[in-house]
Amino acid sequence: MTTALTLVSGPGDGGDRVLTVTGEIDMSNAAEFGAALDRELAAGTAVTVDLTGVTYLDSAGVAVLFDRAGEHDLRLVAPRLLDRVLRVSGLTQVVKVMIR
Amino acid sequence: MSVGEEAGQRAVFPGTSRMAARMRDFDWASSPLGEPRDWPSSLTTAVRICLTSRFPMIVWWGPDLRFLYNDAYLPLLGSKHPALDKPGAEVWGEIWHIIGPMLDSVMATGEATWSEDLLLPMNRHGYWEETYWTYSYSPVHDDEGAVRAVFTAVTDTTERVIGERRLATLRELGARAGVARTEDEACELVADVLGRAGADVPYAAIHIRDGDGELALAAVTPGGEGAAGATAWPLKEVLTDGVPRTVSDGQFGELPSGGWSTPPVEAMVLPLPGDAGDAAIGVIVLAASAGRALDESYRTFLGLVAQQTTALVNGAIAYQAQQQRAEELAALDAAKTTFFANISHEFRTPLTLILGPAAELREALADAGERVREEVEVIHRNALRLGRLVNNLLDFSRIEAGRMQARFEPVDLPAFTAELASVFRAAVERAGLAFEVDCAPWGEPVHVDRGMWEKVVFNLLSNAIKFTFDGAIRVTSALDGGHAVIAVSDTGIGIDAAELPRLFERFHRIPSARARSNEGSGIGLALVRELVGMHGGSVAVESTPGAGTTFRVRVPLGTRHLPPEHVVEESSTGGPAAETADPYVQEALRWLPDGDRPARPAPAAAAGARVLVADDNADMRDYLVRLLRDDYAVTAVRDGAEAFAAACAEPPELIISDVMMPRLDGLGLLAELRDDPRTAAVPVLLLSARAGQEAAVDGLAAGADDYLVKPFSARELLARVRTTVQLARLRTQHARWRAAMIESLQEGFFVCDSDGRVVEINTAFTELVGFDAGGLPYAPPFPWWPDPETDPAAHRQVSDAFDHAWDEPAGGLVLPFRHRDGHRVWAALSYTGLHDDEGHRRLVGTIRDVTAERYAVQRESALASMNQRLAGISGVPDVLRTGLELLRELWDAQRVLAVTWPPDGEPEVTSTDPGDRRWADLAAPLRETLGHVRSLPALHATPAGSGVGTTVDHPGGRLTLWVEPAPGRPLGTEDRTLLALLAGTLAHALRRAHRDDRQREVAIALQRSILGPARLPAGFEVRYEPANPPLEVGGDWYDVITLPGDRIGIVVGDCVGRGLAAAAVMGQLRSACRALLLEASSPAHTLTALDRFAGRLPGALCTTVFCGVLDPATGALTYSSAGHPPATLVHRDGTAEFLDASGSLPLAVRASAPRPEATAAVPIGSLLMLYTDGLVERRREALDEGMDRATAVAHDARDAGLSDLATALMDRLRPADGYEDDVALLLYRRAVPALDFEFAADPDHLASTRHWLRAWLANAALEPDLLQDVLVAAGEACANAVEHAYLDGLGATAHLAARLTGGHLVVTVTDRGQWKQPPPDNHVLRGRGVPMMEALADAVSFRHDATGTTVTLEWRIGS
Repeated sequence: MTTALTLVSGPGDGGDRVLTVTGEIDMSNAAEFGAALDRELAAGTAVTVDLTGVTYLDSAGVAVLFDRAGEHDLRLVAPRLLDRVLRVSGLTQVVKVMIR
Repeated sequence: MSVGEEAGQRAVFPGTSRMAARMRDFDWASSPLGEPRDWPSSLTTAVRICLTSRFPMIVWWGPDLRFLYNDAYLPLLGSKHPALDKPGAEVWGEIWHIIGPMLDSVMATGEATWSEDLLLPMNRHGYWEETYWTYSYSPVHDDEGAVRAVFTAVTDTTERVIGERRLATLRELGARAGVARTEDEACELVADVLGRAGADVPYAAIHIRDGDGELALAAVTPGGEGAAGATAWPLKEVLTDGVPRTVSDGQFGELPSGGWSTPPVEAMVLPLPGDAGDAAIGVIVLAASAGRALDESYRTFLGLVAQQTTALVNGAIAYQAQQQRAEELAALDAAKTTFFANISHEFRTPLTLILGPAAELREALADAGERVREEVEVIHRNALRLGRLVNNLLDFSRIEAGRMQARFEPVDLPAFTAELASVFRAAVERAGLAFEVDCAPWGEPVHVDRGMWEKVVFNLLSNAIKFTFDGAIRVTSALDGGHAVIAVSDTGIGIDAAELPRLFERFHRIPSARARSNEGSGIGLALVRELVGMHGGSVAVESTPGAGTTFRVRVPLGTRHLPPEHVVEESSTGGPAAETADPYVQEALRWLPDGDRPARPAPAAAAGARVLVADDNADMRDYLVRLLRDDYAVTAVRDGAEAFAAACAEPPELIISDVMMPRLDGLGLLAELRDDPRTAAVPVLLLSARAGQEAAVDGLAAGADDYLVKPFSARELLARVRTTVQLARLRTQHARWRAAMIESLQEGFFVCDSDGRVVEINTAFTELVGFDAGGLPYAPPFPWWPDPETDPAAHRQVSDAFDHAWDEPAGGLVLPFRHRDGHRVWAALSYTGLHDDEGHRRLVGTIRDVTAERYAVQRESALASMNQRLAGISGVPDVLRTGLELLRELWDAQRVLAVTWPPDGEPEVTSTDPGDRRWADLAAPLRETLGHVRSLPALHATPAGSGVGTTVDHPGGRLTLWVEPAPGRPLGTEDRTLLALLAGTLAHALRRAHRDDRQREVAIALQRSILGPARLPAGFEVRYEPANPPLEVGGDWYDVITLPGDRIGIVVGDCVGRGLAAAAVMGQLRSACRALLLEASSPAHTLTALDRFAGRLPGALCTTVFCGVLDPATGALTYSSAGHPPATLVHRDGTAEFLDASGSLPLAVRASAPRPEATAAVPIGSLLMLYTDGLVERRREALDEGMDRATAVAHDARDAGLSDLATALMDRLRPADGYEDDVALLLYRRAVPALDFEFAADPDHLASTRHWLRAWLANAALEPDLLQDVLVAAGEACANAVEHAYLDGLGATAHLAARLTGGHLVVTVTDRGQWKQPPPDNHVLRGRGVPMMEALADAVSFRHDATGTTVTLEWRIGS
């Protein structure tokens, strides 16, 4: 059984792109998540990743975000549940994260 | 004088002396000596030495021997000063004939002279003076070597020379003492001596008062016979008032000059006082030499001359008086003999009339009272004695008068003598002496007068008894060359060889050191000699002092030596006449201990001053007592030693003592009395038969207050006694006040002198320690100190305290003393150091008997100590051991042992001595003693063997206690009382311990058998602990019951009371509760039903119970409490939840009311604690505090396994002395079952693995944030495992385990792959996993080995 993950992309309110993620992100589907993100980044505009529906995120997912944070205008919206993982991984220092 | 001149003068005449100043100012220009600056240097040097010396010096200068001298010479010069620069012959004209030639000789020859004590009659104070000098004349040479001057250093030796000469005169006078026999002789003697001392006494005249009181010239110094008639001197005036007078020039004519050129110009008239304050006996005129001023020292010398004269004249007077007295005594003696001769027989009639009726009275009053009989005995005895004395005197007078009627008849002398001796047998044997009579008959009769012979034998035997204290008296007879010889030998004290010649002298008594009696008239042996003499025989004595005496009576055989008219040839018959024998035997018996009357008759008149009479002569003693007893309380003693002892015991106001006494004579007594502070002030009146000034002076010098020469008149004696007593009373009033005050003190009083000796004590002191004033002074170590041998600690304590007292101004302390009879006395001592008149330190103090107080305190403290020590002890053996040890400590005893006597088997021994293990270890005598003690009534402490024993009742039979005291510390009455009291306490403790022992045994057995199930459901733990001894078992219980429907009933209860009874009640309640729970399944119902049950169960009232039913699956708990402390839920975060929502009353208090019920949830990881109050209840502490403490301990140990947690609770809550109440504890911890599963090492399986983990974590009731941390960290570990497996290829599995123990969460992930460094391209991916785990978990560890890798993640929850 693969890890359940739903990826939905669309325009955001401020002319940016929004990738809405639902489910869990681990090493089994991190690549899939990375690919979806790359697609949005390819448009060249700012991308907001909405992780509000994510219940599990480990280092595999964090690594995907780290890899893209340096070159792109990337923002995160995350639930409080993921706050600690994002913080201890150091991602909050390189990406704007908004906790909901 | 110019400045230069002045400086020159100062160089020659240095210093500030008067003569230096005079010399500086002197007009030397007018002198032949000229200006000092022109003097030869030898002169200036000599003058400088002279002026700067403090020794008298002169420089005689030049041919004129001009006079230069210093300040020290001024007094020698007298009125001749100033004599500076005068020619020597002019200054010392009067002696120039002596010194001029000497000086000239020095000037001429240059040789020095030396003169010692040279007489130089000088006129330097206006009169011709006798002076003596020691000086030297030394030449002073000038620069050319010619003698220019004489240098002289002088010493005036006048005082020394004259002083020595006067002393020689006084010595010579003193040496003449006792030479003169009459006053005239004495005066001539003085005049003779003074005639040779003319230099100091040129003229002396002695005027003595004659019988009419008129002065007559008795003697005058040679050459003075015609000089100065009696009228020239104030003789009468001096005689009258006794004041010396000085008579100056002109009042008397020319007197002899005494060898001086000038006759005396001054004289002294001095009184010659009589002895002991009598009127002056005369006057002496002593002229003073004209060569000396009549100064103080001269007057003193003349006074001493007068004194010596007085002594010489008085000595002669006393000698005369003595002579006269001796003559009078001789006359008196003769008169007495005649008198007795004339009247002795007159005594016989009244004596017969006394003796006869007295003898009849003795018989008639044989049944009368003792007192009456004694009085009659006294009359009879003394009448006998008087009769004997009268007879003896009569015999004497008859013999002297030649009227003795003898009847010499033939007698078998050995037989007769043996018969006479046998009369004395009883007395000799009672005296403790052997009596040997060896008188073999020799067949030839001896002519003796039977009556006389009786007296001879009786006197000799009586004498032997008197002076023999041990050994034997022996009577033998023998024939010796025509003589019958009867010998009486003793082993007595013997007689000094010096006394033997006077032994048979009439009235002569031998000064004996020791005799059974000092009574005696001194006529017994004299009579023997007279009587034997009448038989033509003789009596001889041989004696060795200390060995014995033998009297040998020799009587010629035949009749030729006897007056024929008194010889008869027929023998009379019959034994010794009772009237002759009785007095001797009676008297002898009276000397022996049984018949001895007290040496000191009771004081007759208690009201008067107390007078002590010491005289060895019974007659004199009685006479004095008779004289004095109407006015004084008289005590009489026999010698000086007795007198001293009596005076020390109770100092009298006057002691009248004979001078001559055995053992200690009067002068010796005086010395002892004066040497002892108690008696130093007691006045003493000496009596002596010795006349003479010397004797009186001896007595007075020795410190007697008065001196009386025998014979004296009664009136004189009474007058002297009265005066002395009055004076002494005045003198000692202060001392008497003090003594009375000290005597009246309730406390013992003592004074120590500077040597530390106790020199004064009062009666209270004696009562306290048993030593009386008779033994004073007492020197340390005092006899009332504890014995250093047997009680060294106490001895040291007392002696240290005594030493310490000398360094302290004052102090007080309590000390152990030893009474004379040996018992211990505790005395509170307070003392003060004082300095007496002579600056010696003394110690004055009081002592008070605090023995009773001390024993009371000791008893109280011992009882308290016993109670206290035994209170904490349980078990009969321990109680007994502790009790014995305490007894041993209390008395510092050698050992204390206890014996119990079981019905069979050997007695059981408990002892403080480890050596006494068994009955057989004890010595046989001790076993016997203990056997005796065993039969005593309980609690009667009595001396037993070398110790003290008592018995007490003991649960195991009678117990015998025996205390063997330390050496020298015997247990007295007080100690025995205390032992009985303590034994009672011990018995009580033993009974209690025994009862406790039995109950404990039963209760523990019971409790152990009925407590709790052997197997507990999972998650439960129980503990029970009995209370601290001796209150060990109680009624606490717990129970865990598996109920239908996977529920569990839990119960903790506490019955009221302790011991066996409570345990029994508990057992029933527990069973009932269990049954009710199984049936009703509801806590409230159970307790309600239990209420009814308990109402019918005695002792169950007020039992408290907490009863609950738990669903372990959900943690739901229904509970109800019957007055029990609430169960506590300790949550993982340390908070406590007290399950007190259904609290109600204890069991059976209100049986009908339904009980409330409440519910609670027991979360995973929380601890449910049920307990009885013993766990948390402490004295002086609220229950809440104990519950909080239990909560804290439970939280602190939350990670431990449940069993360890229970142990930790019991251990850490247990007070230092153990639980005071029994404790039941029931713990339940609800836990999630450990998670443990294999998963496929495949990324696709990670999600399902997380699912199970998330569900388990949720069940463990973890907070969401923590849950997420655990989930992510565990996810990372799983990803690691998958990665390893992935790298290895092939479908491997990994293992996940999670468990939660209390607050400790452990997750482990194990794979079977090799841990490999991730490849570089995967760096980012793997690099974040480990930090993530480390950041999220409290602890992370990795373990790699051959089989794989294990990651362990740990969290502490709630910390």
